[in-house]
Amino acid sequence: MTAIVSVRDLALDYVTGDGIVRALDGADLEVPEGVALGVVGESGSGKSTLGLAVGRLLPGNLRRSGGDLTIRGRSVFACSPEEMRRLRRDLMGFVFQNPMQALDPTMRVGAQLALAHGDARPGREALIGELDRVGLREPERVLRSYPHELSGGMAQRVVIAMAIARKPQILIADEPTASLDATIRDQVLKVLLAQSRAVGATMLLLSHELHVVARVCEMVAVMYGGRVVEFGVAARVFRRPVHPYTRALLRAAPGHEPRRMILKPIPGMPPVLRGPSQGCAFAPRCDLAAPICTTSRPPARMVDGRQVLCHFAEASLALSERVEEAVP
Amino acid sequence: MSVGAETLPTSAARPVGVGPRRRRAARFDALSRGALVLLIIIVLIGTFGHFLPIGDPEEIAVGPRLSPPSWEFLLGTDELGRSFLPRVVHGIRTTFLVSAMAVLATAFIGTIVGMLSAYFGGFVDTLVMRLADVMFAFPAIVLGLLVSALLGPGIFPAVLVISFVTLPLFVRLVRAVTLSVAGREFVVAAEVAGASTARILVLHLLPNVSGAVVVQLTYALSIGMLVESGLSFLGLGTQPPDASLGSLLRLGAVYVGIAPWLVMSSGLLLALSIASVNLTGDGLRDAIDPLRGRALQ
Amino acid sequence: MTSDAIISLQRVSVTYRSGPAWNRRVVHAVRGVDIAIPRGTILGLVGESGSGKTTVGRLCLGLLPPTEGAVLFDHAPMPKPRAIKGRAAVVLQQPEWALNPRLRVGTSVAEPLTVLGIAKAERLERAREALSQVGLDPSLLTRYPHELSGGQRQRASIARALITDPSFVVFDEAVSALDVSVQTQILNLIRSLQETRAFSALFISHDLAATRYVADRIAVMRLGEIVDTADADRFYSLPEHPYSRELWSTLMPADLAPEIAARPAETLS
Repeated sequence: MTAIVSVRDLALDYVTGDGIVRALDGADLEVPEGVALGVVGESGSGKSTLGLAVGRLLPGNLRRSGGDLTIRGRSVFACSPEEMRRLRRDLMGFVFQNPMQALDPTMRVGAQLALAHGDARPGREALIGELDRVGLREPERVLRSYPHELSGGMAQRVVIAMAIARKPQILIADEPTASLDATIRDQVLKVLLAQSRAVGATMLLLSHELHVVARVCEMVAVMYGGRVVEFGVAARVFRRPVHPYTRALLRAAPGHEPRRMILKPIPGMPPVLRGPSQGCAFAPRCDLAAPICTTSRPPARMVDGRQVLCHFAEASLALSERVEEAVP
Repeated sequence: MSVGAETLPTSAARPVGVGPRRRRAARFDALSRGALVLLIIIVLIGTFGHFLPIGDPEEIAVGPRLSPPSWEFLLGTDELGRSFLPRVVHGIRTTFLVSAMAVLATAFIGTIVGMLSAYFGGFVDTLVMRLADVMFAFPAIVLGLLVSALLGPGIFPAVLVISFVTLPLFVRLVRAVTLSVAGREFVVAAEVAGASTARILVLHLLPNVSGAVVVQLTYALSIGMLVESGLSFLGLGTQPPDASLGSLLRLGAVYVGIAPWLVMSSGLLLALSIASVNLTGDGLRDAIDPLRGRALQ
Repeated sequence: MTSDAIISLQRVSVTYRSGPAWNRRVVHAVRGVDIAIPRGTILGLVGESGSGKTTVGRLCLGLLPPTEGAVLFDHAPMPKPRAIKGRAAVVLQQPEWALNPRLRVGTSVAEPLTVLGIAKAERLERAREALSQVGLDPSLLTRYPHELSGGQRQRASIARALITDPSFVVFDEAVSALDVSVQTQILNLIRSLQETRAFSALFISHDLAATRYVADRIAVMRLGEIVDTADADRFYSLPEHPYSRELWSTLMPADLAPEIAARPAETLS
């Protein structure tokens, strides 16, 4: 499969009053066309920055200090603002965390949905059909409503409908269910995936919640310290993580541990980079760390079908494969 | 109900250790810095100008009446032959003093009222807010006429009017900020620990409200200066032999055809004073407010 | 079982009325709730937004009186916080505002002692001790909150809550705003502190996974009512109540979890 989005050694820095903060430190990612890709990371991992970089929706004080991001071979950084606007409009759809902020509070849903189609002016019947397809039970009522009259889950479904209105080729969802109740999260995710499939889009789902990504994504990219530390098929990454961070994260998160077990947290805190990282950004917290990890940046390697950034990837994989005896 | 990591790049990348207080001075942009410098110059002139050998503001007939600016009299002379330069310096001082006094007193009262009103809420809060609305809607000049009808013209009535007009600004602002601070985690924790109301107000609420008050002070000051000037221009504020920039404008206006330098100098200085106060206030606000808008690329 | 309950809610309702008399709007935040927290245990309270769980938390701290029913603290009617200084404490959600940004960390952490009238020297000593018990370096006493990370601020917030050795602590979404890797550190901290200090606690959260990890028993709330109460163990397998099941099924799907190691409960890092 060809890559629709290609990120090559991308480095982005924030220029703040207190100095540089590095958001991306040489991120590499080839997003195959048509997949549902989850990007997982905690604060400071760079996942949001990467997601927004695809659409070049970056704040003014963000400076590119290296690498590139191309969409079908075309660099987003080489585009003029006008070209970029067209690119976003024609190729991309966005779903963000807070639906109430994405929707215009002064306009009825129907009007906003119609606007989202651009020049094509769909009729009322077509709009009702679209709302129905995202699982809204009373589409006529929703069409007439204002955003504040809808619940969070309903509003997010409207946002999804608007995002796919122009049949985007890339659908970027940044924490789309984080503001929603757990019980409807699942439904909204399924709608997101289904609609993305229906228009043949490549979906980028950014989330800090592992189980969200596990539910709907075929592939997953794990980010840490501004780099993609592991990238591969989701089922494999979750069941047999290669990168020590992925393994530590899965082991630390409550949700699937046996009763009475004490989870081993990851010691320390996620880093804040002030410049390119000298070695591996995870080294201070890693159980496999050796001197080489602090001095040399790990190169990307393929291990067990996955792209990993680790000097000791094989040893780490072996650890993941070992199942210890359960103690009652 | 947002959980876990933030999604906006600005906050996701905020490094540990950045506090809003630390880099305040550095964020002051060029325009605000220029305004602050100008403001300081004007205030210094007003405060210490009379120590310079520029002449006596009240000595009459030192020169020909209504003479234009010359090397001897840098801003010319007025209708009584007084050198205008020292009068303008005196005017600056009066304008600033009157407004500052009024605004500081108002800030003090307004902060207390706003905080108590927000913290205790209920009927008192509603009453205070409605009163503030009424005060806010009252036009200053009409009020000035009313007050001088009752008390006669002068500086004290002008101070009263300025206070009346600026009080609702402080009350509303402080009330809003207090409401948002009062719900914060550290305040609730203090309440649960059994802290007294006084302790919470003084130790927890007041310090976190003060930043907003300081910014509002500059705006209120510029309003105060405008009100004072307006009243003095109508003859209701500063009375001779005292002079404020407004009262100088009043006298100068009579002779604007034959001695325009009187109006021009006092008017220009008044405009510069108010503008510099405003721009400094803008700069302060931008420096204190951590949520500065950023344009997208 | 209310035999030795430190906190007990008996048929408690909280109703908010607003609007003018001819167009009253009534909100039943909490309806007919019965809760008992036995001494020395942690009760987890799980619910979504609008379930009423935060209101229950406030009731248990005496920050809010019930519209109906009775709230008992140590078998006596719940007084205002000022009357039970030092016996109850709270840890809330946002680490950003957990500590007064204008005060040094030490001053904030020692505040419950100041309120009790304890002398400065002793306050300092106990604050130092409190910080090290939550895994923070005592040198942070003199720093300001903005110099600490979110996880550190929550730890300091816990130190402050426990500094008076309270009998009862409410954790209201205390870990929800933290990164996953830091969340577990704080959850482990809560577990170990509760084991050594034996305080009773109410752990409020929308996250069932975190709640069942720390709590002994769990009550599930929905739309102001308690729909299910059971030992936390019960939530490790398919729960009985349909709503609890819904919540449970949102956790990590088992077939995608790594085969994870179980370890005996010796040390917590």
